Amino acid sequence: MSSTLRLGAYLLCGIVALFELGVVWLMLHPNVPPDYRAYYIDKTTTCLNQPVSGSYKLGTTVRFTPEDKDAAKLIRVCGLEGPTGDGNHAVGTSARLRFVYAEPATALTLQLAMVAIQKAGAIVPQRVEIVANGTLLDTVSLNAPAPQRFALPLVAPADGKLELELRFPDAVPMGPTDPDNRLRSIKLISAALLPADQV
Amino acid sequence: MSDAVALRPPRTLPLGLVLILIPLALAIAGLAIRYLAYAATVPDASIASFAQGMCRWDCSWYVKLSQTGYDPFPVPTMINAGNWAFFPLYPILVAIVRTLTGLQTIVAATGLSIMLCIASARVAWPLLGKDLRAYTLFSAFLVAGPFSIWLTTFYTEVLFLFLTLCVFAALQKRQFLLAGLFAALLSATRIVGVFIVFAILIEIWQAHRANGGNWRDFIPAVLKRPELLLALFIAPLGLFAYMAYLHFHIGDALAFSHVQRAWSRPSGLPPVFVWNALTSFPREGWVPTPSQQLAVAVIVGYALSIVLLVKKRYGMAVYSLICLTLPLFAGMASVLRFTAALAPMPLMLTELLASRRWLFAVALLGLLAGGYFTTIGWLTGYLSLV
Repeated sequence: MSSTLRLGAYLLCGIVALFELGVVWLMLHPNVPPDYRAYYIDKTTTCLNQPVSGSYKLGTTVRFTPEDKDAAKLIRVCGLEGPTGDGNHAVGTSARLRFVYAEPATALTLQLAMVAIQKAGAIVPQRVEIVANGTLLDTVSLNAPAPQRFALPLVAPADGKLELELRFPDAVPMGPTDPDNRLRSIKLISAALLPADQV
Repeated sequence: MSDAVALRPPRTLPLGLVLILIPLALAIAGLAIRYLAYAATVPDASIASFAQGMCRWDCSWYVKLSQTGYDPFPVPTMINAGNWAFFPLYPILVAIVRTLTGLQTIVAATGLSIMLCIASARVAWPLLGKDLRAYTLFSAFLVAGPFSIWLTTFYTEVLFLFLTLCVFAALQKRQFLLAGLFAALLSATRIVGVFIVFAILIEIWQAHRANGGNWRDFIPAVLKRPELLLALFIAPLGLFAYMAYLHFHIGDALAFSHVQRAWSRPSGLPPVFVWNALTSFPREGWVPTPSQQLAVAVIVGYALSIVLLVKKRYGMAVYSLICLTLPLFAGMASVLRFTAALAPMPLMLTELLASRRWLFAVALLGLLAGGYFTTIGWLTGYLSLV
Protein backbone atom coordinates (compact mmCIF):
# COMPACT_ATOMS: atom_id res chain seq x y z
CA MET A 1 0.00 0.00 0.00
CA SER A 2 1.46 3.36 -1.04
CA SER A 3 1.97 6.07 1.57
CA THR A 4 -0.71 8.23 -0.07
CA LEU A 5 -3.21 5.39 0.15
CA ARG A 6 -2.24 4.72 3.74
CA LEU A 7 -2.72 8.37 4.62
CA GLY A 8 -6.10 8.37 2.84
CA ALA A 9 -7.16 5.23 4.72
CA TYR A 10 -6.17 6.75 8.08
CA LEU A 11 -8.04 9.93 7.16
CA LEU A 12 -11.12 7.92 6.26
CA CYS A 13 -10.89 6.05 9.56
CA GLY A 14 -10.86 9.40 11.34
CA ILE A 15 -13.88 10.68 9.43
CA VAL A 16 -15.87 7.49 10.06
CA ALA A 17 -14.92 7.51 13.75
CA LEU A 18 -15.98 11.15 14.06
CA PHE A 19 -19.30 10.41 12.37
CA GLU A 20 -19.93 7.48 14.69
CA LEU A 21 -19.01 9.56 17.76
CA GLY A 22 -21.39 12.23 16.53
CA VAL A 23 -24.20 9.68 16.28
CA VAL A 24 -23.42 8.47 19.79
CA TRP A 25 -23.81 12.07 20.95
CA LEU A 26 -27.18 12.28 19.15
CA MET A 27 -28.18 8.97 20.72
CA LEU A 28 -27.51 10.38 24.18
CA HIS A 29 -29.48 13.56 23.42
CA PRO A 30 -32.88 12.61 22.01
CA ASN A 31 -35.04 15.50 20.90
CA VAL A 32 -38.55 14.14 21.32
CA PRO A 33 -41.96 15.34 22.56
CA PRO A 34 -42.82 14.68 26.25
CA ASP A 35 -45.38 12.00 25.33
CA TYR A 36 -42.76 10.09 23.35
CA ARG A 37 -40.22 10.34 26.13
CA ALA A 38 -42.68 9.23 28.81
CA TYR A 39 -43.85 6.14 26.93
CA TYR A 40 -40.82 4.91 24.98
CA ILE A 41 -37.75 6.19 26.85
CA ASP A 42 -38.54 6.87 30.52
CA LYS A 43 -41.38 4.32 30.58
CA THR A 44 -43.23 6.40 33.17
CA THR A 45 -46.56 5.70 31.47
CA THR A 46 -48.10 2.73 29.72
CA CYS A 47 -50.58 4.98 27.94
CA LEU A 48 -49.18 6.82 24.91
CA ASN A 49 -51.22 9.94 24.22
CA GLN A 50 -52.61 9.61 20.68
CA PRO A 51 -53.98 12.68 18.89
CA VAL A 52 -57.57 11.46 18.58
CA SER A 53 -60.07 14.23 17.93
CA GLY A 54 -62.31 13.38 20.90
CA SER A 55 -65.29 14.34 18.74
CA TYR A 56 -68.39 13.67 20.84
CA LYS A 57 -72.02 14.72 21.16
CA LEU A 58 -73.09 15.35 24.75
CA GLY A 59 -75.65 12.83 25.96
CA THR A 60 -74.47 10.02 23.67
CA THR A 61 -73.51 6.68 25.17
CA VAL A 62 -70.44 5.22 23.47
CA ARG A 63 -70.33 1.43 23.64
CA PHE A 64 -66.98 -0.27 23.23
CA THR A 65 -68.39 -3.07 21.11
CA PRO A 66 -67.46 -4.09 17.55
CA GLU A 67 -70.68 -2.45 16.29
CA ASP A 68 -69.87 0.91 17.89
CA LYS A 69 -66.12 0.87 17.32
CA ASP A 70 -66.06 3.88 14.96
CA ALA A 71 -67.59 6.16 17.59
CA ALA A 72 -65.30 4.68 20.26
CA LYS A 73 -62.22 5.24 18.11
CA LEU A 74 -62.83 9.01 18.16
CA ILE A 75 -62.59 9.25 21.95
CA ARG A 76 -60.23 6.37 22.74
CA VAL A 77 -56.82 7.92 23.44
CA CYS A 78 -54.77 5.02 24.78
CA GLY A 79 -54.57 2.10 27.18
CA LEU A 80 -57.52 0.25 25.67
CA GLU A 81 -57.42 -2.77 23.42
CA GLY A 82 -60.14 -4.43 21.42
CA PRO A 83 -63.10 -4.50 21.02
CA THR A 84 -63.40 -7.97 22.50
CA GLY A 85 -66.96 -9.15 22.94
CA ASP A 86 -68.88 -6.48 24.83
CA GLY A 87 -66.05 -4.06 25.53
CA ASN A 88 -62.41 -2.94 25.44
CA HIS A 89 -59.79 -4.42 27.75
CA ALA A 90 -57.66 -1.88 29.57
CA VAL A 91 -53.96 -2.67 29.15
CA GLY A 92 -51.32 -1.14 31.38
CA THR A 93 -51.70 0.98 34.48
CA SER A 94 -53.99 3.64 33.01
CA ALA A 95 -56.32 4.37 30.10
CA ARG A 96 -57.55 7.64 28.68
CA LEU A 97 -60.66 8.93 26.93
CA ARG A 98 -61.07 12.36 25.32
CA PHE A 99 -64.38 14.15 24.97
CA VAL A 100 -64.59 17.29 22.83
CA TYR A 101 -68.12 18.62 22.49
CA ALA A 102 -69.79 21.73 21.15
CA GLU A 103 -73.01 21.80 23.20
CA PRO A 104 -73.22 24.34 26.03
CA ALA A 105 -73.26 22.81 29.51
CA THR A 106 -72.46 23.85 33.07
CA ALA A 107 -72.82 20.57 34.92
CA LEU A 108 -72.27 17.05 33.63
CA THR A 109 -72.62 13.49 34.77
CA LEU A 110 -70.00 10.98 33.73
CA GLN A 111 -71.42 7.49 33.31
CA LEU A 112 -69.12 4.51 33.04
CA ALA A 113 -69.84 0.78 32.81
CA MET A 114 -66.90 -1.49 33.63
CA VAL A 115 -66.20 -4.99 34.81
CA ALA A 116 -63.17 -6.36 36.64
CA ILE A 117 -61.10 -8.96 34.81
CA GLN A 118 -60.99 -12.60 35.74
CA LYS A 119 -57.81 -14.59 36.16
CA ALA A 120 -57.85 -18.39 36.36
CA GLY A 121 -61.64 -18.24 36.54
CA ALA A 122 -61.77 -15.90 39.53
CA ILE A 123 -62.60 -12.19 39.72
CA VAL A 124 -59.61 -9.98 40.48
CA PRO A 125 -61.09 -7.01 42.42
CA GLN A 126 -60.00 -3.66 41.04
CA ARG A 127 -59.97 -0.10 42.21
CA VAL A 128 -60.29 2.49 39.48
CA GLU A 129 -59.20 6.07 40.07
CA ILE A 130 -61.23 8.35 37.84
CA VAL A 131 -59.41 11.56 36.98
CA ALA A 132 -61.03 14.35 34.95
CA ASN A 133 -58.77 17.05 33.51
CA GLY A 134 -56.14 16.20 36.10
CA THR A 135 -58.48 16.20 39.13
CA LEU A 136 -59.36 13.01 40.96
CA LEU A 137 -63.16 12.63 40.83
CA ASP A 138 -63.53 9.39 42.70
CA THR A 139 -62.07 5.96 43.30
CA VAL A 140 -64.53 3.16 42.54
CA SER A 141 -64.28 -0.53 43.33
CA LEU A 142 -65.08 -3.36 40.94
CA ASN A 143 -65.59 -6.79 42.42
CA ALA A 144 -68.59 -8.33 40.67
CA PRO A 145 -68.64 -10.72 37.72
CA ALA A 146 -71.20 -8.54 35.88
CA PRO A 147 -70.55 -5.00 34.60
CA GLN A 148 -70.95 -2.29 37.23
CA ARG A 149 -72.26 1.18 36.41
CA PHE A 150 -71.09 4.43 37.96
CA ALA A 151 -72.44 7.97 37.66
CA LEU A 152 -70.20 10.81 38.79
CA PRO A 153 -71.14 14.50 38.74
CA LEU A 154 -68.59 17.00 37.49
CA VAL A 155 -68.39 20.64 36.52
CA ALA A 156 -68.46 21.04 32.77
CA PRO A 157 -65.11 22.29 31.43
CA ALA A 158 -65.41 25.80 30.05
CA ASP A 159 -63.66 24.90 26.80
CA GLY A 160 -65.79 21.81 26.09
CA LYS A 161 -62.82 19.47 26.41
CA LEU A 162 -62.64 16.68 28.96
CA GLU A 163 -59.57 14.49 29.31
CA LEU A 164 -60.59 11.46 31.31
CA GLU A 165 -57.98 9.19 32.85
CA LEU A 166 -58.73 5.84 34.45
CA ARG A 167 -55.93 4.61 36.70
CA PHE A 168 -55.66 0.98 37.74
CA PRO A 169 -53.56 0.58 40.91
CA ASP A 170 -54.53 -3.12 41.20
CA ALA A 171 -53.72 -4.14 37.61
CA VAL A 172 -52.18 -7.61 37.40
CA PRO A 173 -50.01 -9.50 34.92
CA MET A 174 -51.77 -12.38 33.18
CA GLY A 175 -48.52 -14.21 32.43
CA PRO A 176 -45.25 -14.53 34.37
CA THR A 177 -43.25 -12.37 31.96
CA ASP A 178 -45.85 -9.74 31.04
CA PRO A 179 -44.38 -6.21 30.94
CA ASP A 180 -46.19 -3.27 32.58
CA ASN A 181 -48.03 -2.29 29.41
CA ARG A 182 -49.70 -5.72 29.30
CA LEU A 183 -51.13 -5.55 32.83
CA ARG A 184 -54.87 -6.24 32.95
CA SER A 185 -57.47 -4.66 35.21
CA ILE A 186 -60.90 -3.92 33.73
CA LYS A 187 -63.00 -4.18 30.65
CA LEU A 188 -64.65 -0.91 29.69
CA ILE A 189 -68.19 -1.50 28.43
CA SER A 190 -69.53 2.01 27.82
CA ALA A 191 -68.96 5.68 28.59
CA ALA A 192 -71.17 8.74 28.41
CA LEU A 193 -71.14 12.40 29.37
CA LEU A 194 -74.65 13.56 30.13
CA PRO A 195 -75.80 17.13 30.74
CA ALA A 196 -76.93 17.22 34.38
CA ASP A 197 -80.53 18.03 33.38
CA GLN A 198 -80.75 14.80 31.33
CA VAL A 199 -79.90 12.51 34.21
CA MET B 1 -12.38 -23.56 5.99
CA SER B 2 -13.69 -27.10 5.75
CA ASP B 3 -11.92 -30.39 6.05
CA ALA B 4 -14.62 -32.06 3.98
CA VAL B 5 -13.35 -33.67 0.84
CA ALA B 6 -14.75 -32.04 -2.25
CA LEU B 7 -17.23 -34.43 -3.74
CA ARG B 8 -17.71 -33.72 -7.37
CA PRO B 9 -19.65 -36.10 -9.57
CA PRO B 10 -18.53 -36.77 -13.11
CA ARG B 11 -20.00 -34.02 -15.24
CA THR B 12 -20.00 -32.58 -18.67
CA LEU B 13 -21.33 -29.12 -17.75
CA PRO B 14 -18.88 -26.46 -16.57
CA LEU B 15 -18.83 -26.17 -12.78
CA GLY B 16 -19.81 -22.51 -12.87
CA LEU B 17 -22.98 -23.40 -14.76
CA VAL B 18 -23.76 -26.32 -12.46
CA LEU B 19 -23.48 -24.00 -9.48
CA ILE B 20 -26.14 -21.74 -10.97
CA LEU B 21 -28.39 -24.50 -12.30
CA ILE B 22 -28.69 -26.32 -8.96
CA PRO B 23 -30.22 -23.43 -6.96
CA LEU B 24 -32.15 -22.29 -10.02
CA ALA B 25 -33.79 -25.70 -10.47
CA LEU B 26 -34.48 -25.91 -6.76
CA ALA B 27 -35.94 -22.39 -6.80
CA ILE B 28 -38.41 -23.48 -9.48
CA ALA B 29 -39.19 -26.64 -7.49
CA GLY B 30 -39.61 -24.54 -4.35
CA LEU B 31 -42.05 -22.20 -6.08
CA ALA B 32 -44.06 -25.20 -7.27
CA ILE B 33 -44.06 -26.77 -3.79
CA ARG B 34 -45.17 -23.58 -2.08
CA TYR B 35 -47.80 -22.94 -4.72
CA LEU B 36 -49.21 -26.46 -4.30
CA ALA B 37 -49.43 -25.88 -0.54
CA TYR B 38 -50.97 -22.46 -1.17
CA ALA B 39 -53.56 -23.94 -3.55
CA ALA B 40 -54.36 -26.69 -1.05
CA THR B 41 -54.89 -24.19 1.76
CA VAL B 42 -56.32 -20.97 0.37
CA PRO B 43 -59.77 -20.86 -1.23
CA ASP B 44 -59.78 -19.28 -4.72
CA ALA B 45 -55.99 -19.52 -4.94
CA SER B 46 -54.47 -18.21 -8.15
CA ILE B 47 -50.98 -17.55 -9.45
CA ALA B 48 -51.82 -13.84 -9.56
CA SER B 49 -52.57 -13.79 -5.84
CA PHE B 50 -49.75 -16.16 -4.82
CA ALA B 51 -47.06 -13.61 -3.91
CA GLN B 52 -49.50 -11.49 -1.91
CA GLY B 53 -51.04 -14.57 -0.30
CA MET B 54 -47.65 -15.71 0.98
CA CYS B 55 -47.01 -12.31 2.58
CA ARG B 56 -47.89 -12.76 6.25
CA TRP B 57 -47.05 -11.12 9.59
CA ASP B 58 -44.00 -8.82 9.39
CA CYS B 59 -44.01 -9.10 5.59
CA SER B 60 -46.91 -6.64 5.48
CA TRP B 61 -44.89 -4.18 7.55
CA TYR B 62 -42.01 -4.40 5.11
CA VAL B 63 -44.33 -3.88 2.12
CA LYS B 64 -45.77 -0.73 3.68
CA LEU B 65 -42.33 0.51 4.75
CA SER B 66 -41.00 0.04 1.25
CA GLN B 67 -43.95 1.99 -0.17
CA THR B 68 -44.36 4.85 2.29
CA GLY B 69 -41.13 5.05 4.28
CA TYR B 70 -40.75 5.53 8.00
CA ASP B 71 -43.59 6.71 10.23
CA PRO B 72 -43.45 10.17 11.78
CA PHE B 73 -44.39 10.63 15.43
CA PRO B 74 -47.23 10.44 16.33
CA VAL B 75 -47.87 7.56 13.94
CA PRO B 76 -50.64 8.65 11.53
CA THR B 77 -52.63 5.46 12.18
CA MET B 78 -52.51 6.34 15.89
CA ILE B 79 -50.89 3.13 17.07
CA ASN B 80 -47.92 2.87 19.42
CA ALA B 81 -45.96 0.58 17.11
CA GLY B 82 -44.13 2.85 14.68
CA ASN B 83 -42.24 1.00 11.96
CA TRP B 84 -38.84 2.19 13.21
CA ALA B 85 -37.97 -1.32 14.42
CA PHE B 86 -37.61 -2.49 10.83
CA PHE B 87 -34.18 -1.79 9.38
CA PRO B 88 -33.98 0.07 6.09
CA LEU B 89 -31.66 -1.63 3.62
CA TYR B 90 -33.92 -4.35 2.24
CA PRO B 91 -37.04 -2.16 1.94
CA ILE B 92 -34.87 0.38 0.07
CA LEU B 93 -33.57 -2.30 -2.33
CA VAL B 94 -37.12 -3.54 -2.98
CA ALA B 95 -38.28 0.04 -3.60
CA ILE B 96 -35.49 0.44 -6.17
CA VAL B 97 -36.45 -2.82 -7.93
CA ARG B 98 -40.13 -1.84 -7.87
CA THR B 99 -39.33 1.56 -9.38
CA LEU B 100 -37.13 0.05 -12.08
CA THR B 101 -39.54 -2.75 -13.04
CA GLY B 102 -42.94 -1.25 -12.32
CA LEU B 103 -43.93 -4.45 -10.53
CA GLN B 104 -46.11 -4.61 -7.42
CA THR B 105 -44.04 -4.27 -4.24
CA ILE B 106 -44.60 -7.85 -3.10
CA VAL B 107 -43.88 -9.27 -6.56
CA ALA B 108 -40.66 -7.24 -6.81
CA ALA B 109 -39.70 -8.39 -3.30
CA THR B 110 -40.43 -12.04 -4.09
CA GLY B 111 -38.33 -11.91 -7.26
CA LEU B 112 -35.47 -10.13 -5.52
CA SER B 113 -35.59 -12.54 -2.57
CA ILE B 114 -35.35 -15.58 -4.83
CA MET B 115 -32.43 -14.02 -6.71
CA LEU B 116 -30.70 -13.27 -3.42
CA CYS B 117 -31.21 -16.89 -2.36
CA ILE B 118 -29.55 -18.11 -5.55
CA ALA B 119 -26.73 -15.60 -5.08
CA SER B 120 -26.41 -16.71 -1.44
CA ALA B 121 -25.94 -20.30 -2.52
CA ARG B 122 -23.26 -19.27 -4.98
CA VAL B 123 -21.42 -17.18 -2.38
CA ALA B 124 -21.62 -20.10 0.07
CA TRP B 125 -19.84 -22.53 -2.31
CA PRO B 126 -16.34 -21.96 -0.89
CA LEU B 127 -17.71 -21.82 2.66
CA LEU B 128 -19.21 -25.29 2.15
CA GLY B 129 -15.80 -26.72 1.33
CA LYS B 130 -16.79 -26.85 -2.37
CA ASP B 131 -18.82 -29.94 -1.58
CA LEU B 132 -21.55 -30.40 -4.18
CA ARG B 133 -23.82 -32.40 -1.89
CA ALA B 134 -23.65 -29.75 0.84
CA TYR B 135 -24.16 -27.09 -1.83
CA THR B 136 -27.30 -28.84 -3.08
CA LEU B 137 -28.71 -29.17 0.42
CA PHE B 138 -27.86 -25.56 1.22
CA SER B 139 -29.59 -24.41 -1.97
CA ALA B 140 -32.64 -26.53 -1.17
CA PHE B 141 -32.68 -25.12 2.36
CA LEU B 142 -32.83 -21.58 0.99
CA VAL B 143 -35.26 -21.81 -1.91
CA ALA B 144 -37.39 -24.88 -1.31
CA GLY B 145 -37.00 -25.84 2.35
CA PRO B 146 -39.24 -25.20 5.34
CA PHE B 147 -37.89 -21.71 5.89
CA SER B 148 -38.31 -20.55 2.30
CA ILE B 149 -41.56 -18.98 3.51
CA TRP B 150 -39.40 -16.17 4.89
CA LEU B 151 -36.47 -16.29 2.52
CA THR B 152 -38.52 -16.01 -0.68
CA THR B 153 -41.17 -13.47 0.39
CA PHE B 154 -40.50 -10.03 1.89
CA TYR B 155 -38.52 -10.52 5.04
CA THR B 156 -35.18 -8.93 5.73
CA GLU B 157 -33.73 -12.37 6.56
CA VAL B 158 -32.71 -13.19 3.00
CA LEU B 159 -30.54 -10.09 2.63
CA PHE B 160 -29.20 -10.63 6.13
CA LEU B 161 -28.18 -14.19 5.22
CA PHE B 162 -26.70 -13.13 1.87
CA LEU B 163 -24.59 -10.33 3.37
CA THR B 164 -23.44 -12.55 6.24
CA LEU B 165 -22.20 -15.08 3.68
CA CYS B 166 -20.47 -12.29 1.75
CA VAL B 167 -18.65 -11.20 4.92
CA PHE B 168 -17.47 -14.73 5.71
CA ALA B 169 -16.50 -15.41 2.09
CA ALA B 170 -14.40 -12.22 2.12
CA LEU B 171 -12.86 -13.19 5.45
CA GLN B 172 -12.00 -16.63 4.09
CA LYS B 173 -9.92 -14.87 1.45
CA ARG B 174 -8.52 -12.49 4.07
CA GLN B 175 -10.12 -9.54 2.24
CA PHE B 176 -10.80 -7.64 5.43
CA LEU B 177 -11.75 -4.31 3.91
CA LEU B 178 -14.29 -5.98 1.63
CA ALA B 179 -15.65 -7.86 4.65
CA GLY B 180 -15.98 -4.52 6.46
CA LEU B 181 -17.95 -3.05 3.54
CA PHE B 182 -20.37 -6.00 3.51
CA ALA B 183 -20.62 -5.74 7.29
CA ALA B 184 -21.63 -2.09 6.98
CA LEU B 185 -24.50 -3.15 4.72
CA LEU B 186 -25.33 -5.99 7.09
CA SER B 187 -25.64 -3.61 10.03
CA ALA B 188 -28.23 -1.64 8.03
CA THR B 189 -30.23 -4.84 7.48
CA ARG B 190 -30.79 -6.17 11.00
CA ILE B 191 -29.54 -4.86 14.34
CA VAL B 192 -27.62 -8.01 15.21
CA GLY B 193 -25.66 -7.63 11.98
CA VAL B 194 -23.50 -5.08 13.75
CA PHE B 195 -21.97 -7.84 15.87
CA ILE B 196 -20.22 -9.35 12.87
CA VAL B 197 -17.49 -6.88 13.72
CA PHE B 198 -16.38 -9.44 16.32
CA ALA B 199 -16.05 -12.11 13.64
CA ILE B 200 -13.89 -9.72 11.61
CA LEU B 201 -11.76 -8.99 14.67
CA ILE B 202 -11.34 -12.72 15.37
CA GLU B 203 -10.29 -13.39 11.77
CA ILE B 204 -7.81 -10.51 11.93
CA TRP B 205 -6.42 -12.04 15.13
CA GLN B 206 -6.17 -15.47 13.52
CA ALA B 207 -4.35 -13.99 10.52
CA HIS B 208 -2.04 -12.20 12.95
CA ARG B 209 -1.35 -15.45 14.80
CA ALA B 210 -0.77 -17.31 11.54
CA ASN B 211 1.92 -14.72 10.74
CA GLY B 212 3.67 -15.45 14.02
CA GLY B 213 2.19 -12.55 15.97
CA ASN B 214 1.15 -12.64 19.62
CA TRP B 215 -1.27 -10.70 21.80
CA ARG B 216 1.35 -8.14 22.81
CA ASP B 217 1.99 -6.89 19.31
CA PHE B 218 -1.60 -7.35 18.05
CA ILE B 219 -2.85 -3.80 18.57
CA PRO B 220 0.32 -2.14 17.16
CA ALA B 221 0.12 -4.49 14.17
CA VAL B 222 -3.50 -3.53 13.50
CA LEU B 223 -2.72 0.17 13.92
CA LYS B 224 0.02 -0.14 11.35
CA ARG B 225 -2.44 -1.49 8.76
CA PRO B 226 -5.06 1.19 8.07
CA GLU B 227 -7.13 -1.12 5.89
CA LEU B 228 -7.74 -3.34 8.93
CA LEU B 229 -8.67 -0.35 11.05
CA LEU B 230 -10.97 0.88 8.34
CA ALA B 231 -12.66 -2.54 8.10
CA LEU B 232 -13.42 -2.43 11.82
CA PHE B 233 -14.61 1.18 11.77
CA ILE B 234 -16.91 0.87 8.78
CA ALA B 235 -18.49 -2.43 9.89
CA PRO B 236 -21.15 -0.72 12.08
CA LEU B 237 -21.61 2.21 9.68
CA GLY B 238 -25.01 1.01 8.42
CA LEU B 239 -26.41 1.01 11.93
CA PHE B 240 -24.95 4.44 12.71
CA ALA B 241 -26.35 5.86 9.46
CA TYR B 242 -29.82 4.54 10.34
CA MET B 243 -29.52 5.96 13.85
CA ALA B 244 -28.58 9.35 12.45
CA TYR B 245 -31.58 9.19 10.11
CA LEU B 246 -33.91 8.32 13.01
CA HIS B 247 -32.60 11.22 15.07
CA PHE B 248 -33.30 13.71 12.31
CA HIS B 249 -36.62 12.04 11.41
CA ILE B 250 -38.25 11.68 14.84
CA GLY B 251 -35.62 12.91 17.29
CA ASP B 252 -34.56 9.55 18.73
CA ALA B 253 -31.57 7.66 17.34
CA LEU B 254 -32.58 4.62 19.39
CA ALA B 255 -36.20 4.58 18.19
CA PHE B 256 -35.64 1.13 16.65
CA SER B 257 -34.98 -0.17 20.16
CA HIS B 258 -37.36 2.01 22.18
CA VAL B 259 -40.32 1.10 19.96
CA GLN B 260 -40.02 -2.52 21.10
CA ARG B 261 -42.06 -1.36 24.12
CA ALA B 262 -45.09 -1.09 21.85
CA TRP B 263 -44.84 -4.81 21.07
CA SER B 264 -44.95 -5.51 24.81
CA ARG B 265 -42.02 -7.86 24.65
CA PRO B 266 -41.07 -9.34 28.00
CA SER B 267 -37.55 -8.96 29.32
CA GLY B 268 -35.60 -11.55 31.22
CA LEU B 269 -32.79 -14.06 31.14
CA PRO B 270 -32.43 -16.34 28.08
CA PRO B 271 -32.05 -19.60 30.05
CA VAL B 272 -35.30 -18.86 31.91
CA PHE B 273 -37.20 -18.18 28.68
CA VAL B 274 -35.78 -21.31 27.02
CA TRP B 275 -36.56 -23.49 30.03
CA ASN B 276 -40.11 -22.13 30.34
CA ALA B 277 -40.66 -22.76 26.62
CA LEU B 278 -39.18 -26.24 26.77
CA THR B 279 -41.40 -27.24 29.70
CA SER B 280 -44.53 -25.79 28.13
CA PHE B 281 -46.02 -29.23 27.49
CA PRO B 282 -49.15 -29.77 25.39
CA ARG B 283 -52.35 -30.10 27.40
CA GLU B 284 -53.32 -33.11 25.33
CA GLY B 285 -51.67 -35.23 22.64
CA TRP B 286 -48.00 -35.53 21.95
CA VAL B 287 -47.38 -32.80 19.35
CA PRO B 288 -44.88 -30.31 20.84
CA THR B 289 -46.31 -26.89 21.56
CA PRO B 290 -45.11 -23.88 19.51
CA SER B 291 -43.09 -22.80 22.57
CA GLN B 292 -41.35 -26.17 22.68
CA GLN B 293 -40.61 -26.00 18.96
CA LEU B 294 -39.02 -22.58 19.45
CA ALA B 295 -36.96 -23.91 22.34
CA VAL B 296 -35.73 -26.79 20.19
CA ALA B 297 -34.72 -24.30 17.47
CA VAL B 298 -32.64 -22.40 20.02
CA ILE B 299 -31.01 -25.57 21.34
CA VAL B 300 -30.19 -26.75 17.81
CA GLY B 301 -28.71 -23.31 17.16
CA TYR B 302 -26.46 -23.53 20.21
CA ALA B 303 -25.48 -27.11 19.32
CA LEU B 304 -24.44 -26.01 15.84
CA SER B 305 -22.49 -23.12 17.33
CA ILE B 306 -20.58 -25.60 19.48
CA VAL B 307 -19.83 -27.70 16.38
CA LEU B 308 -18.50 -24.52 14.74
CA LEU B 309 -16.26 -23.97 17.76
CA VAL B 310 -15.03 -27.55 17.64
CA LYS B 311 -14.23 -27.11 13.96
CA LYS B 312 -12.28 -23.96 14.93
CA ARG B 313 -14.50 -21.63 12.95
CA TYR B 314 -14.29 -19.15 15.77
CA GLY B 315 -15.57 -16.11 13.90
CA MET B 316 -18.75 -17.86 12.82
CA ALA B 317 -19.23 -19.48 16.22
CA VAL B 318 -18.89 -16.27 18.23
CA TYR B 319 -21.09 -14.34 15.82
CA SER B 320 -23.74 -17.08 15.98
CA LEU B 321 -23.70 -17.23 19.76
CA ILE B 322 -24.20 -13.46 19.97
CA CYS B 323 -26.99 -13.46 17.37
CA LEU B 324 -28.75 -16.37 19.04
CA THR B 325 -28.46 -15.04 22.57
CA LEU B 326 -29.28 -11.33 22.29
CA PRO B 327 -32.86 -11.69 20.97
CA LEU B 328 -33.56 -14.18 23.76
CA PHE B 329 -33.40 -11.40 26.35
CA ALA B 330 -36.78 -10.32 24.93
CA GLY B 331 -38.35 -13.77 24.96
CA MET B 332 -38.81 -16.51 22.39
CA ALA B 333 -40.69 -14.57 19.73
CA SER B 334 -39.42 -15.24 16.19
CA VAL B 335 -36.37 -17.24 17.35
CA LEU B 336 -37.03 -19.96 14.78
CA ARG B 337 -36.76 -17.37 12.01
CA PHE B 338 -33.69 -15.77 13.57
CA THR B 339 -31.95 -19.14 13.92
CA ALA B 340 -32.83 -20.45 10.47
CA ALA B 341 -31.60 -17.29 8.74
CA LEU B 342 -28.35 -17.09 10.66
CA ALA B 343 -26.01 -18.13 7.86
CA PRO B 344 -23.52 -20.24 9.87
CA MET B 345 -26.44 -22.41 11.06
CA PRO B 346 -27.58 -23.75 7.66
CA LEU B 347 -23.95 -23.82 6.51
CA MET B 348 -22.96 -26.12 9.35
CA LEU B 349 -26.17 -28.14 9.27
CA THR B 350 -26.03 -28.88 5.54
CA GLU B 351 -22.34 -29.70 5.78
CA LEU B 352 -23.15 -32.32 8.45
CA LEU B 353 -26.11 -33.70 6.53
CA ALA B 354 -24.04 -34.01 3.36
CA SER B 355 -21.43 -36.21 5.02
CA ARG B 356 -23.19 -39.47 4.01
CA ARG B 357 -24.90 -40.19 0.74
CA TRP B 358 -28.00 -41.73 2.35
CA LEU B 359 -28.23 -38.90 4.85
CA PHE B 360 -28.00 -36.42 2.00
CA ALA B 361 -30.91 -38.11 0.20
CA VAL B 362 -33.06 -38.22 3.32
CA ALA B 363 -32.24 -34.61 4.16
CA LEU B 364 -33.05 -33.40 0.66
CA LEU B 365 -36.42 -35.16 0.70
CA GLY B 366 -37.04 -33.87 4.20
CA LEU B 367 -36.30 -30.30 3.16
CA LEU B 368 -38.64 -30.47 0.17
CA ALA B 369 -41.43 -32.10 2.20
CA GLY B 370 -40.80 -29.56 4.96
CA GLY B 371 -41.21 -26.80 2.39
CA TYR B 372 -44.72 -28.05 1.63
CA PHE B 373 -45.92 -28.59 5.18
CA THR B 374 -44.35 -25.43 6.58
CA THR B 375 -46.06 -23.40 3.88
CA ILE B 376 -49.38 -24.85 5.01
CA GLY B 377 -48.51 -24.01 8.63
CA TRP B 378 -47.52 -20.52 7.52
CA LEU B 379 -50.78 -19.92 5.71
CA THR B 380 -52.90 -21.32 8.52
CA GLY B 381 -51.16 -19.15 11.13
CA TYR B 382 -49.11 -21.73 13.00
CA LEU B 383 -47.63 -19.83 15.90
CA SER B 384 -44.02 -20.98 16.01
CA LEU B 385 -43.50 -19.65 12.47
CA VAL B 386 -44.31 -16.02 13.30
